[in-house]
Amino acid sequence: MTYAAVARQVVMEFANGEDRTRVLHGVDLALPLGRMSFLVGPSGSGKTTLLSILSGTLTPTGGEVEVMGERLDRMQPADLVRFRRRRIGFVFQQYNLLAALSAAENAAVPLIADGVAWGTAVRRAREVLARLGLAGHEHKLPRQLSGGQQQRVAIARALVHEPALVVCDEPTAALDAQSGRAVMDLLDAASDDASRAVLVVTHDDRIYRYADQIFAIEDGRLVDADASHLPHALPEHGTNAP
Amino acid sequence: MLGIALKMLLGDRVKYLGLIFGIAFATLLMTQQVSIFVGLLTWGANPVLDVREAHVWAMDPRVRQADEGLAISDAELYRVRSVEGVEWAVPYFRGTTTVKTAEGRVNALTLIGVDNASLVGLPPENRAAAAEAIRGRNAMVLDETLVGRIWSDGRDPVGEIVEINDNRVTIAATTDALPTFAGLPVGYMKFTDAITITPPERNKLSFVLVHARDGVAPAELARRIEAQTGLKARTREDFARAGVNFIVTNTGIPASFGIAIGLGVVVAVVITALTLAMFIAENLKSFGALKAIGVTNGQILGMVLAQSLLVGITGFGLGIGGTAAFLAGAETDPNLDGFLLHWQVIVGALVAILSIVVASALLSVRRVLKLDAAVVFRG
Repeated sequence: MTYAAVARQVVMEFANGEDRTRVLHGVDLALPLGRMSFLVGPSGSGKTTLLSILSGTLTPTGGEVEVMGERLDRMQPADLVRFRRRRIGFVFQQYNLLAALSAAENAAVPLIADGVAWGTAVRRAREVLARLGLAGHEHKLPRQLSGGQQQRVAIARALVHEPALVVCDEPTAALDAQSGRAVMDLLDAASDDASRAVLVVTHDDRIYRYADQIFAIEDGRLVDADASHLPHALPEHGTNAP
Repeated sequence: MLGIALKMLLGDRVKYLGLIFGIAFATLLMTQQVSIFVGLLTWGANPVLDVREAHVWAMDPRVRQADEGLAISDAELYRVRSVEGVEWAVPYFRGTTTVKTAEGRVNALTLIGVDNASLVGLPPENRAAAAEAIRGRNAMVLDETLVGRIWSDGRDPVGEIVEINDNRVTIAATTDALPTFAGLPVGYMKFTDAITITPPERNKLSFVLVHARDGVAPAELARRIEAQTGLKARTREDFARAGVNFIVTNTGIPASFGIAIGLGVVVAVVITALTLAMFIAENLKSFGALKAIGVTNGQILGMVLAQSLLVGITGFGLGIGGTAAFLAGAETDPNLDGFLLHWQVIVGALVAILSIVVASALLSVRRVLKLDAAVVFRG
């Protein structure tokens, strides 16, 4: 099995004055390509911190993080930003679409940020929006779209640059059941791509059935939530995807 | 990313328009007040600048500016003429009197007596006709921009008889003199007529106007006149500047205008800094999302600077347009004559506005640059 992301003995501590609070205690985890993995756990368990580390928005204080063969924990900040822009897609709980941009322009942001010409980027974004069932809505502003449609635009933004890893933070938390199912169907389809892994952090047990594997986390440690889905052993260095 | 930045800015119309009009108002306030201030200062120099033929002004050593006419002896004229390097020297009277119209209206008047032969000191506007008309006995050439203060019914004043110190004076022609700080109507007469109709004093010669011989520097000639006669002598430029300095050091005008201009700066700083800070704060989550997605701090800085420069330049353009419109409208008002929008004022205001918006943008964007990209995942 080839992995998009692997975490080995990841430790995260936050300084609070002279005190240091450890929120992750040596977490091991691997996200296979072509699969959708869930990270579940109660509030304050370290889910968001682990998601941030795996997506390269936070650097761990210990351990190793590899995404598509690249060691994020050793990257310079500028390289990390560039890596995120090209290899990672983000879906946020509150969508975080730019209110002044149309759906197509919002979806095109990662391409525009990477220097792709505006027209080309928006054209590619329109194609992705069409695949996600938003044909005809490309010119609409976020406020003109329903919550489910906005989250689909956010998914388009996460997929437009064809990243290897898509991280989703509570993607259905702000949606009704029907919209949540539609969003999960799209993420499920996205994870079927053998060149991509999808990691979903969620509290929403209605969508657990979409998971190919579930990681449960409590007090900064992974616990065996669903043994049948957990990898029996972490891959050795270099066995994850190049 | 500039396209995104501008769309973000234009999408928030309330703040966009607030910034634009705030900056426009501040620009208007600053440039209009500076233009009026500069215009008023220029008025202080105008009594000297209006006499274009004189290279050097000689006067009583106690005189500080042209409206302080401390008369000197007629003999001083001949002493000045004897100084090496003087091409010619002529008498010049400048004093304040009261004019009474046939209808009984009275008005203060700055009376200028110019040399009978050369008419040095007569403004160039309508000079030929004025020069002919002024030669008549007790004939006066009146500054037409201020005629309305004496006759508000819009009549042609030429031919009107007025009374000055119980002397009948005929308005023989009009001219267009540069406005002066004293703000009184200006009338020109022959030197001998002017000193005749004004109250008797031992001396009536206010200034000696001097033209330097070719090859003699006015500054050197002024030094020679001072050394040889004991009079105070100043080049045209130095004496004009003395008129400006007199206003600066002896009136509350600089402080008054300084406060208004300072208020313009404060308005620009407060509106720009607060609105930009609010704009950044309200878009913090969006900026966090952009940072998570992979937008660099440099790109975000470029976005915020582009937004600031757009509102700065647009607001500045509107403000300058407002000032230009005001000054263009003021051209028809003789009380506001000579107020110009100088290029130095435009450049200075542009630099001030751009400095304010860029500094405000840099202060506001610090929050975003320090923002941890992972904040977007934290509720």
